[in-house]
Amino acid sequence: MSTMERAHVVRGVDHAAFPTFDPRGTITFYRDVLGFPVVHATCALGWGPGDHPDFIHFFFDIGNGDRLAFFYYFGVEPYRDTAIPELIHRARHLAIHVDSEEHLQEYRRRLDASDWPCELQVRHETVESIYVTDPNGYLMEITRPLRAITVEDDIDANVSVDALMDVTGEDEPTLEKFFARKARLIAERYAGEAELVTFA
Amino acid sequence: MTVLYVLDVDDFRPLAEVASKAPDTTVRRRGPYLEVEAAGEIRIERDATGCRNAVWYSSVAAVESGRVSRWDKVELVVTPRGDAL
Repeated sequence: MSTMERAHVVRGVDHAAFPTFDPRGTITFYRDVLGFPVVHATCALGWGPGDHPDFIHFFFDIGNGDRLAFFYYFGVEPYRDTAIPELIHRARHLAIHVDSEEHLQEYRRRLDASDWPCELQVRHETVESIYVTDPNGYLMEITRPLRAITVEDDIDANVSVDALMDVTGEDEPTLEKFFARKARLIAERYAGEAELVTFA
Repeated sequence: MTVLYVLDVDDFRPLAEVASKAPDTTVRRRGPYLEVEAAGEIRIERDATGCRNAVWYSSVAAVESGRVSRWDKVELVVTPRGDAL
């Protein structure tokens, strides 16, 4: 048992689930446009006692054995949170991985030939992504790696989250305070290791 | 004295290289980072680095004894400040 303590044994996404009030649009978009196979559907009378509505819980294969799922509730009025700021609304998104530029372009082609054309294509630092809003108003991203993630990236990420923990534990966190805190962590962790670098 | 850290990977190394060409500026390797130290401000022209947009705007790892006073499509400027945060 002790060997399991703190072991990192999770294996990716089993499924991520979202409500839909437009199952026809959702099935058209994910199954017919993107070509994601339907792999499971639970068709259920409301759960247990109470007023839980009858529903269909249906799943699309998004590769790697992972699944994207939706709930459609019979008789429930469509709800959309119109008060949510656009920034926050679009921060919530699902990014699906492809391995290559060819594969990314293929999904862009499928979207552009549909009623949901690609809205944006961006080369980020380590990935290139296409973005589209699905029939439910959810932002969806498909992304491919531009370079391998290195051990340096992982170290930097850990220093960053340590600095973020520190500055968000204090009043009025800012990027400036974050950069300063991170600099101090770097100086502490790598004290005495500096060697001069010259560029040819 | 102003210190700018960038991660020592292909994407961000050009910032340190461009900065190193200014007088009174030294670059050291500190762990996985390049530590750019200048007597005064550090100015890095984006065009000289060849960084595309997303790389440019994620290129700063950390700043000591200074603050980012300009970071736009033209240049990154780190200005010295006496009062450490």
